[in-house]
Amino acid sequence: MAGGAVGDVEDMEEFYVRYYVGHKGKFGHEFLEFEFRSNGMLRYANNSNYKNDTMIRKQVYVTSAVLKECRRIILESEILKEDDNQWPEPDRVGRQELEIVMGNEHISFTTSKIGSLVDVQSSNDPEGLRIFYYLVQVC
Amino acid sequence: MATGAEVEAVDFEPEDDDLMDEDGGVDVAPVDASASPRAPLPKLKSAITGGASSSAAARKTKGRGFREDHPDAPDRSTRLAASNFDSLKSPDGPGPQRSIEGWIILVSGVHEEAQEDDLQNTFGEFGEIKNLHLNLDRRTGFVKGYALIEYENFEEAQNAISSMNGAEFLTQTLTVDWAFSSGSSANGAMKRKNTRPPRERRSRSPRRRY
Repeated sequence: MAGGAVGDVEDMEEFYVRYYVGHKGKFGHEFLEFEFRSNGMLRYANNSNYKNDTMIRKQVYVTSAVLKECRRIILESEILKEDDNQWPEPDRVGRQELEIVMGNEHISFTTSKIGSLVDVQSSNDPEGLRIFYYLVQVC
Repeated sequence: MATGAEVEAVDFEPEDDDLMDEDGGVDVAPVDASASPRAPLPKLKSAITGGASSSAAARKTKGRGFREDHPDAPDRSTRLAASNFDSLKSPDGPGPQRSIEGWIILVSGVHEEAQEDDLQNTFGEFGEIKNLHLNLDRRTGFVKGYALIEYENFEEAQNAISSMNGAEFLTQTLTVDWAFSSGSSANGAMKRKNTRPPRERRSRSPRRRY
């Protein structure tokens, strides 16, 4: 594996991660979004119309080693066992989306922005939301 | 040097369009699709990818994202046109990809109590470390388990990979590899051993043995 930007066959298992956080306001639709795909493609977009700024879009390919580490982090978080049905709905302040395809599971969670742990504790599903809260800070 | 590197940033190359076209939001690996057919992916909601597909989901789904879009949901179809992503120019052959300021390697299996100094000492042996990221778990405060290390030269990074991949570090076995690749790992060409960027072709350093 050393020096291998080469994907092992087992690494090519279906894998997709997307995270979005954003809101619509005074400066237009301000958001940040990134996604990883099984083939290593990593895309990133960041938009704000603040001072007439334009969208930033970046694309790069990561190695299977990076995908494997992402997979490990997601698996260890156990986010796939959670459900967003008790999480706060997105609101005017903003929304977050987390979509993951791994193996035969596909989650697509949506919630509001989370300012701090106080928001987590006061929600109807603090245990589940806490996992989300910490996961999206390392993704 | 940074200014020289900036010039390498180019717009997304058109021949790669098949990897990012709107109707193929679900085709995560179109190049690979004919070679190894598999169950189609369920609809992805990404605006980057396009997200539109009629493929049936053959896997367990969960979450609000599968409901009809809320009226207040951002307009995904215009959020990102699936084009004009900036990326660094890739060499012809697949292989490790240089970043703006150097060559970045991923170190995984890093002990949760590792310190930056530990990594600096061990990996500094292969060349000056331009950047070192040792991210922490926000909940526990311990090391998350990986580090990103940037060297200026290809040879330094290659040497670090060859020497440290599989090595023991603070009682754990490290995995060390390139972080970025110049092309899709679904592409058959990637199955070849990593080729060097044409400009810096030199013989590979022998792998260190312990």
